[in-house]
Amino acid sequence: MMHCNRCGGILQENAEFCPHCGNAVAPIAACPNYVNPYVAFMGYGMAPQVTIQYNGDPAEQTGYERYPGHEEVVSIKGLWKRYSRKADWAVSNVSFTCYEGEIVGLLGHNGAGKSTTLKCLEGMLPFDKGEIKIAGYDIQKDGEKAKAHMGFVTDNHATFVKMTGLQYINFMADVYEVPSKVRVKRLAELERVFQLGHPIENLISSYSHGMRQKICMMGSLIHQPKLWILDEPMTGLDPRTMHAVQEFMHQYVAQGNSIIFSSHALNTVAKLCDRVVLIRKGQQVDELNVKEIYAANPNFDFEEYFLRNEKQS
Amino acid sequence: MKNSHNANAQAAPAAGSGKGGVNFRTVRALLRKNGQERRSMFRAGQFDFFGFLLRILLIAAIVALFVMFFGRFVDVYVSIKINDKTDVMARSTELLTILYSAVILGMVIGGVGQIGRELFAADDMKILSAMPINAKTLFLAKLISIYRGQLVIALVSVFTINVTFALKVGVTLVFWALTLIICFLLPLITILISAVLVLPFQAIKRFLRERFVLTFILVTAILGVSFWLYSIIVGGVKQLLLGDSLRYFFNARVMKSIRIACSWLYPARWFANIISGSDPIWSWLELAAVAIVCILLAMLVIKRILVRSMQARNQGSSASILKTSYVMDKRNKFVALLKKEFLMIFRTPSYMFSYFSVAVIMPLMVYFCMDVGASLVENLVGLDSSLELALFLTILFGALTNIFCATNISRDGEMFYSVKALPLDFRTVFFSKIVLCLIVTAFSQVASAVLLFATGIVGAVDALFLVFVGLLFSFVNIAVATRYDFNHAHFSSEDDGEIKESSGTVSKVIFMGMLLSFAVGGLVLILKIFAQLRQFAYGALTYILAGGLAVISAGLATLYLLLGLKKKYYEFSGGGI
Repeated sequence: MMHCNRCGGILQENAEFCPHCGNAVAPIAACPNYVNPYVAFMGYGMAPQVTIQYNGDPAEQTGYERYPGHEEVVSIKGLWKRYSRKADWAVSNVSFTCYEGEIVGLLGHNGAGKSTTLKCLEGMLPFDKGEIKIAGYDIQKDGEKAKAHMGFVTDNHATFVKMTGLQYINFMADVYEVPSKVRVKRLAELERVFQLGHPIENLISSYSHGMRQKICMMGSLIHQPKLWILDEPMTGLDPRTMHAVQEFMHQYVAQGNSIIFSSHALNTVAKLCDRVVLIRKGQQVDELNVKEIYAANPNFDFEEYFLRNEKQS
Repeated sequence: MKNSHNANAQAAPAAGSGKGGVNFRTVRALLRKNGQERRSMFRAGQFDFFGFLLRILLIAAIVALFVMFFGRFVDVYVSIKINDKTDVMARSTELLTILYSAVILGMVIGGVGQIGRELFAADDMKILSAMPINAKTLFLAKLISIYRGQLVIALVSVFTINVTFALKVGVTLVFWALTLIICFLLPLITILISAVLVLPFQAIKRFLRERFVLTFILVTAILGVSFWLYSIIVGGVKQLLLGDSLRYFFNARVMKSIRIACSWLYPARWFANIISGSDPIWSWLELAAVAIVCILLAMLVIKRILVRSMQARNQGSSASILKTSYVMDKRNKFVALLKKEFLMIFRTPSYMFSYFSVAVIMPLMVYFCMDVGASLVENLVGLDSSLELALFLTILFGALTNIFCATNISRDGEMFYSVKALPLDFRTVFFSKIVLCLIVTAFSQVASAVLLFATGIVGAVDALFLVFVGLLFSFVNIAVATRYDFNHAHFSSEDDGEIKESSGTVSKVIFMGMLLSFAVGGLVLILKIFAQLRQFAYGALTYILAGGLAVISAGLATLYLLLGLKKKYYEFSGGGI
């Protein structure tokens, strides 16, 4: 008997899709001893017959809900990146898609390749193979147009520290060509979420880690981007702001925007994401539909799953 | 359990306590750490051999020039007669006092800066101040580490002075032994003086930290006054070399003034006394007394202020700049980048000094040097070469001002990556940097030309030509420095991204600037003199040569800047972090 490697449901012989969760399945050829960690964890026993193949358009193969009427905001196909010719691949064959109104989380341990994937997506790093499209624009060919549709927050919260918070936000608004009246209104909205307060008039060099993070987030949202990319967004935030940011993320995608973020915080990922892309040693090892998993098993424990996955690898 | 915890706490006083004696084992460990950090610069792949060689060559050139000119001056000075009598020992002591004073002044200023950096800005202090190392141990380790660096400076400068002196005045073996002792002693005294001065200096720095306009005015004024004093000295030297009246420059009145001034120039006076053998015992005793007083004062400094200052640094600043209105005017991307670039420089005191202040002072530098140089050349060669000399000085000082561009990319730090993720064309990013530098340099070049024209040194056409050539060569410096820095970018790991140490790129840019100024300015000057001597028509050769070379250089620099820039920008993943 074959089981779906995502929801654990029973599959019919020669089935291409799981009838329960729509997951694409294919017979495994390369590794007869493959043990799907999720299946093993869920107690369905050995399932050497199935795995996910990520060649080509992942959306077509994985059979996820297509978000009818929603467009692709990000499409990453076969991304390969290494830092030098002698070095190992930092990212190898990563492919995933993010649709309008979706939150996608990149999950992996330190050095797994999450930040590198995000930096390639943001256009900060060149990559060796593959294709990245944001709002239909190729990041390599139409970089400026692609970047105009996204806002980003880096893991090191780099800003121009000799500017005041206000000057920095104004600078970002200038770069994204936000009209004067709109930027004042948006700043007020963002201030309600992040509550930076009076220090917005101080030099960023005097900010604490958390305050720098807030100003980075505010700067990245001033043009209300279609795609918001965050690298480890919750690290260093106080619990109140963390809660406010999570609420804001839900509201933001409800307006038809999309968010991609990387994190170690498994519970945050579980709470926020629609889908999770699991990356290990630069390789995409799994892609989980969080809502469907919870629908199939409300007691699903992400942390335990992640740890077991790591251990078995 | 509780007792053992207390015992540990007693055995390892925290940096915050400032109590307990110096732990020499820890001092040794800290010095070893420093040594390992310094040696890491010489590791294969990190060591910039060409930059290092250039620095050595620059120092060697300065030393050679000094030995040459100072040697001649020593001859003149020791043979001065007062009441028809020469007094070699007294003249030697005066001369050494003045020179040692200059060395001490430089080393104290350098020492204050270095100690300030090591105690209040160095990366390791964030970690060390939280470790169970008492403040005295930490302070001593830092001072010894700085002493090592200053010892090298003392060896180079004191030996250069004394060797020149020994070549002109007969010396014994004792002179060399004393020279060696002074090389070791002089940095000790300067470090102790610096240690006492460092906290008042830090207090002033803290006061000025976010008062950018005031800092700019102060720094520019200090630089202006320093250069004015320098020009007076250079003017004096010019008169000494040229004017008939200066044959009697060192008259009885002047010599009396020098004698009185030297008698007050402590502690240089003591060093000079020791080496020239006049009143050496008292000088030794007085030096020892000063050293003890400085040690005591330095101890007081550690006890009273050091620990608090270190903690204040970790705490960060809470100062607020003047209230800004919430009016958020829209600018285009280019102007936004230009403003960002300006704020980054204007709000970092060291950048402000090395760029804006130097740019403001540059016209004065050109004018003073012109004032001295033009008449010097006219008297020596009998030729009016104002334009050629002005060209040489304009290119030279323009190059020196634009050295700052050697950090055009590196000073953005990690933010350079973030800018890559913004919807900005690579040309907008680079041109905003280059245009700001061109605006600054244009201000300097135009002001220099106006000053030279207003004082009648050059005519209106020549002044315009100076602006044209000066701007083109400045563009060459800026474009080459920016591209070279981009190719070899090295980001700072400091919180504020400030680059505190000059890299090999800086020495290469200095070298290129000086080479250009000597090649172009020197070429037209030599050609004009040659034409005068050979009596052939020189005509407009200066305009053709300098103008032509400026246009060609600007074209080549543009090529160097733009060739493969787009590809390299999008592939950029350097920065050394």
